[in-house]
Amino acid sequence: MLKLQAVQIIHNKEPLFPPLSIDIKPGEIASIMGPSGCGKSTLLSAISGNLADVFSLEGDVQLNDHSVLPLPMEKRRIGILFQDDLLFPHMSIAENLAFALPQALLKSERQEKIAEALKQAGLSDFEKRDPGTLSGGQRARVSLLRSLLAEPKALLLDEPFSKLDQELKDQIRTFVFDTVRRMNIPALLVSHDVRDCPEGQVINLAKQEG
Amino acid sequence: MPSIGSNHFSLEPWTRLFTHPGFVNSLKATLVSGIGATLLSLSITFLLFAVSYQTRFWKLLNQTLAPLLAIPHAAFAIGFLFLVSPSGWILRLVSPDLTGFDIPPDWNITRDAWGFSLMLVLVLKEVPFLVLMSLGALGQLDVKRSLAIGRSLGYHRVLVWVKIILPQLYPRIRLSLFAILAYSLSVVDIAQIIGPTVPPTLAVQVFRWFNDPDLVSRLLGASGATLILLLVVGAIAILYLLELALRWLLKRQVTRGNRHFHVFFPNLLSKLFIITLVGTSLAAITVLLIWSFTWRWRFPDLFPGSWSLRFWGKGLMQVQDPIWNTVKTGITSSLLGVFLVIGCLENELRLQRAGKHTNTPTMLWLTYLPLLIPQIAFLFGVQVTLAAFRLDGHWPSLVWSHLLFVIPYVFLSLGPVYRSYDQRMTDVALTLCGSPWRVFYRIKLPMLLKPILFAFAIGFSVSVAQYLPTLFMGAGRFDTITTEAVNLASGSDRRIVAVYALCQLLTPLLIFLSALLIPRFVFRNRREMQG
Repeated sequence: MLKLQAVQIIHNKEPLFPPLSIDIKPGEIASIMGPSGCGKSTLLSAISGNLADVFSLEGDVQLNDHSVLPLPMEKRRIGILFQDDLLFPHMSIAENLAFALPQALLKSERQEKIAEALKQAGLSDFEKRDPGTLSGGQRARVSLLRSLLAEPKALLLDEPFSKLDQELKDQIRTFVFDTVRRMNIPALLVSHDVRDCPEGQVINLAKQEG
Repeated sequence: MPSIGSNHFSLEPWTRLFTHPGFVNSLKATLVSGIGATLLSLSITFLLFAVSYQTRFWKLLNQTLAPLLAIPHAAFAIGFLFLVSPSGWILRLVSPDLTGFDIPPDWNITRDAWGFSLMLVLVLKEVPFLVLMSLGALGQLDVKRSLAIGRSLGYHRVLVWVKIILPQLYPRIRLSLFAILAYSLSVVDIAQIIGPTVPPTLAVQVFRWFNDPDLVSRLLGASGATLILLLVVGAIAILYLLELALRWLLKRQVTRGNRHFHVFFPNLLSKLFIITLVGTSLAAITVLLIWSFTWRWRFPDLFPGSWSLRFWGKGLMQVQDPIWNTVKTGITSSLLGVFLVIGCLENELRLQRAGKHTNTPTMLWLTYLPLLIPQIAFLFGVQVTLAAFRLDGHWPSLVWSHLLFVIPYVFLSLGPVYRSYDQRMTDVALTLCGSPWRVFYRIKLPMLLKPILFAFAIGFSVSVAQYLPTLFMGAGRFDTITTEAVNLASGSDRRIVAVYALCQLLTPLLIFLSALLIPRFVFRNRREMQG
């Protein structure tokens, strides 16, 4: 469960938005909407642990009843998905995915997990492919797989569909939501397009009650 | 091409080369300082990026980057010499209190036989260059987001650099690295100042042979120069193989998944290096300043016993002609260089928009060829050719020879920025006013004013620093501040040498300052142009 308690981001002594409190249950996808510049992406950086120095965070962020704030980004086990797939171009698909897997696995276990994940995305036998040869939709799927293979405890999505064209959007949206629900982790999605938001809590960052 | 004996082919110069006394030591020193400097510079640059990127120390490095690059090699080497040598400032600082020295010790710190001090000076000069090139290349990679993704997957920031970002960076700076390699293996002016003396590095030895009144030595020089060329080619090949090996190793490591990293030691190293870099440069300049105003400075006093303006007075008088030559040549070659490079880049743009094929990679290699072939290896051949047409010794030939080296650096510095210019600006402007020329000089040029001025400043400092081309192409007829400074450095009066070195320093520095200040002034009311 991901809990935000009275979270505010301060810039130049001014908060960007009224205090935000939200509880997200496992398998639930909550959406944050708002106009440009209201602080949506900054909020995600704050939760994942990547807040720029000019900002400060007030309030608490708790994951499964432990505050994540004292932890550095690499220890928080919170995955993040951007608009750009950011697949590492100097590695194959399998290597990109393997990068996300924990250290303790044996080579055979690793290969199994990768194959299984690719199968579920409809990309079987894509292991040796070069990311540069994949289509936009395929890359988006691999990117999601990569984030999930790290077995995060929560997932943040920063306008993940905005660079996809209309037909692709629906496909990938469904894929992402189904997968997140199946993995049973809380997810927080940020978007400026209301069609991107699934059923569930939708919060307009700028217009909340204080 | 050299290797032709008096009138017929012969292997004799080669056998004489290999059996020349001190050849092996020369080779040793050349390889150690050349390859060592390159590998060390690369490792340090990667270390700096992986560990200190965007930290406070990074800001220090960023701000001092341009001035560090502006310091000409010769001036820096001279300053370093005055700093580190047995009678240098550092030892004066700690003597006699800590060391008990009353007279300078007989240590072989600088001008050591293995070329370590040469290597050190090369590293201190090459790291800022490599950092600058890397910064340009990194602009094409999404560093911020790659770091975010890597860290969200649990990897320590430094490991994300090592496994993800640096492997993508290396191919983009390969060319710069090879240029550094060629330079380090064949440098003459710095090696004369701070490299081993007997025997000197191969490049210096070849240079002496070329200048030997005994014409037979020219053949020896030719074979030596060819050897240096072969060394460079061989070293580049080794680097290629090394890269392949490391990539293979990396692939095996990368999928293992180890994410933890102890940052303390590398962090310390990195900070130490930045401090040393900036500190040494500052100290070197300061010691030059002190010496230039000195009348008498006994060891182990910390500061001169008596001061004098005499040497500045004498120096400034003597230095007028060389400085005028330097500035004249520098401005001309740099202007021409910038002009040609912009023409090239615009042409490339035009071809791209017309959908035609641009053979950019080939052009790239052609442009950088002068940087990759050691100067000493081909300049002699060029001079011989020019002399046959009676073209050497004329000022235009001198400018042309400088141009050969100015163009690649201007290209290196202006290329990435020019190419990442948002073409939509031009498109919009064209719809507004319809004249491509007006759009060019009222919109594009002003927007690119800062990078263009910066590229000009770099071209100018490259021209100022040219030693061998001035000597060869100018057929000894043109004295520049650099040739004078290097010639004086190997012996004489530290005071006058300091004056010369400082003059060599100030010339490009002034141009760099203007390059920084002019845009700031012209655009003082424009927030977005302050970038």
